[in-house]
Amino acid sequence: MELFWLAVSTIAIGVFGCVAWFWGSNLILDRIYPPRGPNAGDNIRKANQIRPWLFLGPAILFLGVYLVYPIFDSLWRSMHNARGSEFVGLSNYAWHMGDGKFRESMRNNLLWLLVVPALSTLFGLIAAQLTDRLKWGNIGKSLIFMPMAISFVGAGVIWKFIYEYRAPGETQIGLLNAIVQALGGDPQLWLTLIPWNNLFLMIVLVWIQTGFAMVILSAALRGIPEETIEAAILDGASPWQVFFKIKVPQIMGTIAVVWTTITIVVLKVFDIVFVMTNGQWGTQVLANLMYDWMFRGTPDYGRGSAIAIILMLLVTPIMIWNIVNARREVR
Amino acid sequence: MEGMAGQKSSLVWAVNIAAFLLVLLWTIPTLGLLVSSFRDRDQILTSGWWQSFSAQEATGFVRTGTGDDAVQEDGQYVIEGTVLEEGQNLIGWGIRAREPAAFQPGETTEIEDGWQLTVAEDGSYRLTSDTPFEMRRGERIFVTTGAPARLTTENYDRVLTAEGLGRAFMNTMTVTIPATVIPILIAAFAAYALAWMEFPGRALLTAAVVGLLVVPLQVALIPLLRLHNELGIGKGYLGIWLAHTGFGLPLAIYLLRNYMVGLPREVIESARVDGATEFQIFRKIILPLSFPALASFAIFQFLWVWNDLLVATVFLGNTREQLVMTGVLRELMGSKGGEWEILATSAFISIAVPLIVFFAMQKYLVRGLLAGSVKGG
Amino acid sequence: MKAVFHTTVALAALLAGSAEAQLVIEKGSDDRINWQSLEDFGAAHSDIEGQSVTILGPWLGPDQELFTSITAYFEDVTGATVNYSGSTSFEQQIVIDSEAGSPPDIAVLPQPGLAADLAAKGHLRDLGEETAQWVRDNYAAGESWVALSTYAGQDGAERMFAFPYKADVKSLVWYVPENFEDAEYEIPETYEDLKALTEQMAADGETPWCIGLASGGATGWPATDWVEDLMLRLNSPEDYDAWTTNALPFNDPKVVAAIEDFGWFAKNDDFVAGGTASVASNDFRESPAGLFESPPGCYMHRQASFIPSFFPEGTVEGEDYDFFYFPAPADGSVGQPVLGGGTLFGVFTDNPVAMAFVEFLKTPAAHELWMAQSGFTTPHTGVNMDAYASETQRKMGQILLDATTFRFDGSDLMPGAVGAGVFWTAMVDFVGGASAQDVADRIQQTWATLK
Repeated sequence: MELFWLAVSTIAIGVFGCVAWFWGSNLILDRIYPPRGPNAGDNIRKANQIRPWLFLGPAILFLGVYLVYPIFDSLWRSMHNARGSEFVGLSNYAWHMGDGKFRESMRNNLLWLLVVPALSTLFGLIAAQLTDRLKWGNIGKSLIFMPMAISFVGAGVIWKFIYEYRAPGETQIGLLNAIVQALGGDPQLWLTLIPWNNLFLMIVLVWIQTGFAMVILSAALRGIPEETIEAAILDGASPWQVFFKIKVPQIMGTIAVVWTTITIVVLKVFDIVFVMTNGQWGTQVLANLMYDWMFRGTPDYGRGSAIAIILMLLVTPIMIWNIVNARREVR
Repeated sequence: MEGMAGQKSSLVWAVNIAAFLLVLLWTIPTLGLLVSSFRDRDQILTSGWWQSFSAQEATGFVRTGTGDDAVQEDGQYVIEGTVLEEGQNLIGWGIRAREPAAFQPGETTEIEDGWQLTVAEDGSYRLTSDTPFEMRRGERIFVTTGAPARLTTENYDRVLTAEGLGRAFMNTMTVTIPATVIPILIAAFAAYALAWMEFPGRALLTAAVVGLLVVPLQVALIPLLRLHNELGIGKGYLGIWLAHTGFGLPLAIYLLRNYMVGLPREVIESARVDGATEFQIFRKIILPLSFPALASFAIFQFLWVWNDLLVATVFLGNTREQLVMTGVLRELMGSKGGEWEILATSAFISIAVPLIVFFAMQKYLVRGLLAGSVKGG
Repeated sequence: MKAVFHTTVALAALLAGSAEAQLVIEKGSDDRINWQSLEDFGAAHSDIEGQSVTILGPWLGPDQELFTSITAYFEDVTGATVNYSGSTSFEQQIVIDSEAGSPPDIAVLPQPGLAADLAAKGHLRDLGEETAQWVRDNYAAGESWVALSTYAGQDGAERMFAFPYKADVKSLVWYVPENFEDAEYEIPETYEDLKALTEQMAADGETPWCIGLASGGATGWPATDWVEDLMLRLNSPEDYDAWTTNALPFNDPKVVAAIEDFGWFAKNDDFVAGGTASVASNDFRESPAGLFESPPGCYMHRQASFIPSFFPEGTVEGEDYDFFYFPAPADGSVGQPVLGGGTLFGVFTDNPVAMAFVEFLKTPAAHELWMAQSGFTTPHTGVNMDAYASETQRKMGQILLDATTFRFDGSDLMPGAVGAGVFWTAMVDFVGGASAQDVADRIQQTWATLK
């Protein structure tokens, strides 16, 4: 019981501290530049120059300490040797460029980038549209969303029961091989079947991420004004036309957000590969390779960090696209 | 008109069936896990989970008693016992591993020099000899048995009664709730500033947030733990809240900003004209309108923190008093793993709470979604 | 059900905490154990009463239970407290914690490579020449144990940085005696006999071996043990030592021959259960199950001393299964080589209790108490061999004491990127169809870039 109160009070303090900052700092700002009285106009202008930074302050502080600082730390490390005692310039990067495993990881990451966001968004959109107007839609949605609630270790076990292999003729305990055997085929070692094993790993992430895409996209679909759709139906548009010509263009922005988010998840994909193949049989990806170098055996933090930096550089196109978008919105 | 109605109803049917198939496809893997969590390890390793509901055939062996167990009957030495466990029936038996089902129930065979073995239909065996038995260990009787489908809750008993799970549950809650609420608060303010306030560098800052989404967690562990140690935060709840807040912020800001940008401009403009302060606009207009986005992010952050083990072991520590749920479950599985039944059960217990949260939040999600639209991008 | 109950009870006892820790064997009750050594140790370290020490290790579940049953005696005689915590991601955690400046007092290091790395970065404390001398004097093949735990420190000077406690014997072949009797197979005395027996079994239509290489993130390691055992049988111990330091290149014909010999066993569909294709994806924990199937899935399984914990529930040591020594060539040219491993205790802080704990590990009682339970072998020559819980265990301990050549797991001695990286993956590729020469070349290439 004591523990319970400790937990509750720590929660309260944590949350309260946060609220106090926003409320208090705004109050103080309004005290210094009161939006009333003789200088109201001037005060409001001054306060409005400062206020965004009050709103952004904690976020910038957190992002700076918890994400930007580690990036610079990695940058520094990536140009040093394993122990961090000697400057080695770009030789860690150069080493990776000549390394077969690194090239394999780059290739696989690109494959993941092509397949997973596309399939997840597509299935998410289909799921959102199909379940939207069904009576049991919410139950269906919950079931599709469920994989998101399962930890990666759990997902690893789940898919073991799908992909597991036993020698031909024996009782298969993997669902996929049981089906193949029942249809008269030979059971396959799905996870070592180069190059298709990459696809079997991707399916796991698609299975997980579809729920995410569905939740966000279904929100967007419901946001489309009814009048637009009704007008289209009155004009004689078929359901397909309504979906592709009216609905999809309306939610293009949200689709882009979903696509971007999943792309970034894919760039960082680690757990699935780590749990299921650990990057063997040609399935290595950048994040897992980085983990190998950082923590496996005799760690070489320099080479690990170099991969991290490369990983972060890969996101540049998406950042530029976002800057362009944000500028356009301002206008 | 009739044609159109027919078309419409067949379309409804098609939608229902398609949706059902999709949901089924997405559910089957988890269903396999659910069923497996009610089976014991031998069952999991010898037959597919979809066969759990049909009768099982199993092979194995049982050892007879040794000379010490023998009794004398009519000048013969006799060892008796049974080869079956409760609920099993005997299909065949044998005395060599290579031919485990050489004999039918009721048959008799000679093992060696005058030792006669009979295994009856009911599983009772009788080993007889004219001379006293000399053996170091019991003879093996190989049996092929059939047993009706059997599901067990032993796995759940074992996991749920594991000492320390209650404590770990409280620890997880203590970690998860602030680590979900704090980033949402901070991100909501930041997202509003990025979406609706004018200041130099806004677009750049927005893009930077997207860039930060991709920072791999692993690079941050050592520098941040070192920082915590140097600042005197060390390992503890404060440290892990801060860490989860930092790691969760980019996605929170990104999702919320994109949602808030899509809110109707007129409402905010007119509030400004009416003389409302930004803080008032945020509190009275933006927050209520953004509820679905806040709720959906809350779900994602909650799930992520709940299922996390890495950040918890690094920033909270690994001792008995500090373990979170995932930590206790991992301990149960042992250092070498391989206990699929415990894994399956643990996975189910650990998703129970996130699912409850999802179902609880979903009501708000749907209600809120009707109020505003998601645009952005 | 009984087993489940047993585990629950044991776990409950374990989780009850150190305050009321139960001693598994009542002090003074079992005369196989050198209680005097424990008392003497306690008397010499009464000054640490009330203090505590933190230990981080990879042991969880039953292993953790066993280890904490030993630390309970340390707590009992000194009055100090031991806080052990195990972690599945131990390697990663010890690296992060020591780099970030919050290491445990003691870590149980399963790999010398990791210990060497931590020593080089200046995280480990020097255990002193006295301890090194103690190991030399009291461990069988003491010099090689000292060498195993001696590394270059931050300043480059070689010192003993870790204390070896708990050894594993790897050169073991597990089998079911009655299956051998039924089929009238003899236990092979020489390496040639082993190969002949393998062929004999295949000719009889039986499957000789169960081999499984899958181990999640560490898939491939069981194959490295095979190659190491074969290296010791085909080449001299000196070659083996040269191989672990790369003085003998990985793609030398001698090494390639050892890899090819592993292929002789593993890359023949008639020799392995499930066929070659399944070797790499069979989980090493599940692969020995074939021994106990009826009809037998296989007759032999080469694996280290820990493997019985993964045998099916209810199988009895010495009755349902047994082991024989992985035999050496008949000509006697390489003697009776034994491949083994051990866990190393490294001290990270100046906590006096940590050093006292290392002293505790030197007492015969600290070894005998674990021997009397299960899953423990030790090279300590001062212990009572009768303390082993079973004949099988004692036989294993004897192998350790009798070895004419004792060598440590070579992949653990190699740089991590090789021994815990490309060596593993290359063996998976080898079993998958690549040639021995190709995979050896690839490993050598990676090793060369590490210099």
